[in-house]
Amino acid sequence: MKLPFKINNKQKHLELLPNETLLQALRNNHFTEVKCGCNEGECGACTVLLEGKPVNSCQVLAMSVQEKEITTVKGIGTLYTPHLLQKSFAEAGADQCGFCSPGMVLASYSLLKENPQPTREEILVALDGNLCRCTGYVKIIDAVEMTAQKLHSNKLVME
Amino acid sequence: MLHQNLEWFFPHTTEEAVKLISQQGVILHGGGTRILKTSPKSIKGLVDVGKLNMNYIHHSGNKISIGSASTYDEVIRFSARTKKLSMLVKALSEAASTPLRNRITIGGSLKDFPIWSSLYAPLLALNAQIEIADKHDKIISLEEYLETGIIKTKHLIKRIILEDDPQVIGGVKRFVLIRFEYPLFTVAVALRTKQNIISDARIFITGVKGRYKHCKRAEHFLIGKELNDENIQQAKKHFAPKFVSDYKYSAEYKEHAAKVFFTDLLQELKGTVK
Repeated sequence: MKLPFKINNKQKHLELLPNETLLQALRNNHFTEVKCGCNEGECGACTVLLEGKPVNSCQVLAMSVQEKEITTVKGIGTLYTPHLLQKSFAEAGADQCGFCSPGMVLASYSLLKENPQPTREEILVALDGNLCRCTGYVKIIDAVEMTAQKLHSNKLVME
Repeated sequence: MLHQNLEWFFPHTTEEAVKLISQQGVILHGGGTRILKTSPKSIKGLVDVGKLNMNYIHHSGNKISIGSASTYDEVIRFSARTKKLSMLVKALSEAASTPLRNRITIGGSLKDFPIWSSLYAPLLALNAQIEIADKHDKIISLEEYLETGIIKTKHLIKRIILEDDPQVIGGVKRFVLIRFEYPLFTVAVALRTKQNIISDARIFITGVKGRYKHCKRAEHFLIGKELNDENIQQAKKHFAPKFVSDYKYSAEYKEHAAKVFFTDLLQELKGTVK
């Protein structure tokens, strides 16, 4: 069946089955920026924002979120128009293989939108559902701090 | 895997939802995390609770009502704003990861009661009540909900009701190796004190043989006494939860660890007695 969803601020129709997770529904409809890692809600590679909050899309049944705002990493910035946070990830060397990056970026984005000047501890808690198996976490946390610093020094609001 | 021909229902009233779940193979859907973990093929239909207006937290007088569709994260945020529910929130904020806490609902966790639940011990210690809807709406204590086996029947949990009593001090400890893993057990203590003397005590542990234990012997020992080092050591002798051995830990080890956690918890509370 084909059902309407609000993804990245646009109305989209997704072809899906009633037993599919949001992850399956998104990837089967070309939102391949949402990555499939463990499929058990442990790794965070499939993170999307649901009404602005990070969730594991592999742990959400698609049918239950039809009227909610869904944001994938392409909803905050693209290759040609990257978000400040995505630029910081690149500058800090916080993406090696890049598989965890969409989830890391979205979890960080949600944190900074709510709390533009987080402590290191608050960053650790916000990223506790996202695993990285190659870059390590130091550069990722640095990238979040770097973004917070840029927001502060340029008096910017997280968009 | 859930069945491909799964049917979804989106009722607007609890009466409608209760009627729907009376059908065989039809269950409630809150956040869906537990359903996806177990994914039984026997599920024929899911009744989503999203339109039932059960996503709220109200504080009125000395009562706090938590709608059963509220997520762990929403309870944590309420506590951050109001400084209420600190004991419950300590357990919830350590349970699961941030993205899962944004999905797991209070009602779903109560209905399922997995052995690793971090929710039950603090709620039982706080003597929480729950409002349920089946044929009739009723408010019962959470302990009664477990003891009488209502948990195993088909019903809908509407809300949890907690008393906001400034005379009650409490704490909770989870046995985990890393912060948000499934706890081996969770122990919770709530004490009402007056002029340094314990006038009431509620002590519960989950993750034990039989899933939970109301530690009445330890409670009886503590009531009427001062919370000092000697009484804490004596209370430990009255706290004897029984466990089942598993591939990682023996029952004896778990019992020993639980006693250590229990005395640590009482030691922490000693400093806050009013």
